[in-house]
Amino acid sequence: MRLYRTTRARTTCVLAAALASATVLAACSSSSTTAGGTGRGGSGSGSGTAAALPQQYGSVPLASADTGKSGTISVGALTSAEPTWIFPVIPSANGSVYDQYQFIQESWRFLYVTFNGAHPEVNPALSIANTPVWSNNDQTVTFTIKPEYKWNDGKPVTSADALFFYYEVKAALKENPANWSQYVPGLGIPDEVKSVSAPDASTVVMNLTKPVNPQWFLENGLSLMLPMPVHAWAKASANGPVLDPSVPANAKKIWDFMSAQSKQVSTYASNPLWQVVDGPYTLSAFNATTGDYTFVPNPSYGGPHATAVSTLKVLGFASEDSEWNAVKSGALDVAEVPSADIPQMSAVTGQYNDFGYPAFGFNYLVYNFKDTTGGFNNIIGQLYIRQALAHLQDQAGIIRAFFHGAAGQAYGPVPAIPSTPFTPANALTSPYPFSVPDAISILKAHGWTVNPGGTDVCANAGSGPNQCGTGIPAGAKLAWNLIYDTTAKPTVQLAQDFVSEARQAGITVSLQSSNFNTMIQNYNDPSAPKNVNKWAMQDFGGFSINAYPTMLGIFNSTGVYNVGGYNDPQADALMNASVASSDPNAVKNEASYLTQQQPSLFQPLEDRVWVWNKKLSGPPDVFQSLTQFQLFTEEMYFTK
Amino acid sequence: MTGYIIRRIGVSIIIVLGVSLFTFAMLHVIYPSPVLDVLGPHSSPPAIAAWNHENGFDRPWIVQYLSYMNNLLHGNFGQSYKFNQSVYTMFANRWARSAYLSGISLVIAVLIAIPLGIYQAVKRNSVGDYTATTLAFVVYSMPPFLLAIVLIDVFALQLHWFNFEASQSLGVLTVIADWHSMFLPIMTLVLLTVAAFSRYMRSSSMDVLAQDYIKVARAKGLPERLVLTRHLVRNASLPMLTLIGLFIPALLAGNLITEEVFNYKGLGLLFFSALGQGDYNVLLAYTLVGAILTVLGNLAADVALTVADPRIRLG
Repeated sequence: MRLYRTTRARTTCVLAAALASATVLAACSSSSTTAGGTGRGGSGSGSGTAAALPQQYGSVPLASADTGKSGTISVGALTSAEPTWIFPVIPSANGSVYDQYQFIQESWRFLYVTFNGAHPEVNPALSIANTPVWSNNDQTVTFTIKPEYKWNDGKPVTSADALFFYYEVKAALKENPANWSQYVPGLGIPDEVKSVSAPDASTVVMNLTKPVNPQWFLENGLSLMLPMPVHAWAKASANGPVLDPSVPANAKKIWDFMSAQSKQVSTYASNPLWQVVDGPYTLSAFNATTGDYTFVPNPSYGGPHATAVSTLKVLGFASEDSEWNAVKSGALDVAEVPSADIPQMSAVTGQYNDFGYPAFGFNYLVYNFKDTTGGFNNIIGQLYIRQALAHLQDQAGIIRAFFHGAAGQAYGPVPAIPSTPFTPANALTSPYPFSVPDAISILKAHGWTVNPGGTDVCANAGSGPNQCGTGIPAGAKLAWNLIYDTTAKPTVQLAQDFVSEARQAGITVSLQSSNFNTMIQNYNDPSAPKNVNKWAMQDFGGFSINAYPTMLGIFNSTGVYNVGGYNDPQADALMNASVASSDPNAVKNEASYLTQQQPSLFQPLEDRVWVWNKKLSGPPDVFQSLTQFQLFTEEMYFTK
Repeated sequence: MTGYIIRRIGVSIIIVLGVSLFTFAMLHVIYPSPVLDVLGPHSSPPAIAAWNHENGFDRPWIVQYLSYMNNLLHGNFGQSYKFNQSVYTMFANRWARSAYLSGISLVIAVLIAIPLGIYQAVKRNSVGDYTATTLAFVVYSMPPFLLAIVLIDVFALQLHWFNFEASQSLGVLTVIADWHSMFLPIMTLVLLTVAAFSRYMRSSSMDVLAQDYIKVARAKGLPERLVLTRHLVRNASLPMLTLIGLFIPALLAGNLITEEVFNYKGLGLLFFSALGQGDYNVLLAYTLVGAILTVLGNLAADVALTVADPRIRLG
């Protein structure tokens, strides 16, 4: 999962961290919408478009019948997100989605790709390994490498190459836990792996320390592994012999050498190490100053690709504005549209197709369950209060007013869109629809004197069903602060809108401005306990999450990302079951419970809107996957 | 003169050292280590400790400062934690681009502003003066990014006369030759600078025109052209020397906006990016370079004034 602020802000930063297969990304987006239906804007959909996804923005044309021709596909990227690491074991300091999915993944493919178009699910066609087989009471997993994948020097991709990654992860973590951005102490790879073996050249067997949920381990564990060429990379020096990486001392030497090579950014295109690839592209040029880089097709790539694969040229832009100028001038073939420029889409839709969809994740206003200021901990501990607050969020209005229709409503940690089998029924439509009168009714029913425009007061203290609740004294007021990130425009708008709606129900929320970095460092119960009484609510953005959307780490009582100190034993049990039980519905049950319990105020998810040259075609899911940070240009082709 | 310059250089060095010490101390007070920006806000304590030790952030700040200065003296500006490159390399790849953009803009602006200011002073309250004054106020009050966006929209996206972005080449000669891409960023800085400089030049010229020696020159029957070129220009331009000296570091900072809008990979953009990402060593280096340029700009202005105006006596 990735922590992000509510804006595209690819500008920034990538702060790495370690949690359930997590890369912390300080940048992204979010928003909302109207229900159901097809295109909400953009260039619209017609008979020549792919089946519309719920609440999509724009549309994706069907693939051209023409087999197409190759060329150079120019893609815009922000220089702040330019690659700073190339070795596939990525440290936290360098672990951005852009580095991982739009740079490294072009040359080296993961065992399992977990995005299928805009849907967060394993994509068998793009995965290097076949579907894993489980045995031994879900404690042993076996998978095989597909024979069609080869290194571009002619050697096959083998089970040893897959295990090479595992050995290097262990060696890297032994030196420093921050050396692998996806590391979660005690969970998944490598801590839950007891032993590994390669009984033949294509088969890998992993024995785990205890039974796990197979779906979780596939999507949050195996999918993080990426075969690396043992024959080319298992070295301690450029001209040294190939070492056996299963020997820990060798693995350490290899890590030291390869990570040092990876730090030499200016040599990425010239270092022969990085020219051995199994992905669709080989890096041919890299400019660390401009952020431009070029990939040329790998003719021996074994995965799906266009008949004639185009060269991929990524152009770095200093800002969203300068990238948008490039789009308007027609200088780019593929680019993401800044949310602020969506109202200007009509200026480019003559030349570009457009499609928008939220990246899989959630945005939220965080409640601080440990803030004792004004007894806020006792107030927010009441479910009815959280339900009343949920009634005060006008998601449809927010999407219309602030996101120009390019967003999707979201009511829980697992959103309705992008669709996933794990979205619970109670998250498909709002369980607590926007209604100030409903919020007021709930408060009155629990002993509060409601003063719209003023501040509500507890008139009936006690823990009975019609009383304010345990720990809330008579005279207590519904008044607290909300700290928000002023560097992201949507966050400012969402925070101000919430304050306005809350005031109508007599809840006084004082806004306090801050910025993303300050917030995640200082207003965070697990890592900044001395500040627990300085904030009641905060809005820094949200998380993008993995295809298997357990909230373990975010809402469990000991989670490192449990920013507001939410503590619910039943939720803990459900989250643990999502990881450890074999029940395929475990994570859905967890999501359903959290949606009902509202451990935070879930906000609309902003679309990531992309445009691409109308001369470009390919399978629709390739263009839909752009919204999920995936760049599969090897399947795109020019039609004219 | 030599003694004066030596004294000024000595003072300048002290100022630069003071600025470096102050900047370093302030940065460490509010930001003792960039570890959380680098490793992530939830990195484990052992990982944080290991990183701080590895990068020397577990030492007393004064030791860190002395170490930093020692490295600086050896040409080592440290490593960018965000871009995985040495700060020196990052500066080396960018400074010439920024210097060209700043330098050419300043030169053109001065060449326009001086005659424009004189013209306005000589023809004050004329239609031409009012027109120039109005335009100067409009441009001067306009935020740089707005001016840049307007120029891009009109001249690049609508008329297609120039490129929407600055040259992406790393070679300065190529950048200089690429007028199609560089015209708009240069023009943005030129317009902003002319708007400011021409007002100073106009005021200065009006002051000089009121001086007795101008009246004497005219009374002697000296042609107006010679009055202006021999007596007015040199004297009225003296304040411009100070202004230009002070403007050198300002142009560097001013490039931040222009470079960002025109996607020009220079020092200003590097600072902008470093600021957003908490790129510690880049911020330190940029601040120091800014301080040095400010001191050098002042020094150059003072020396130039003493050369240009013999009335200034050196103590």
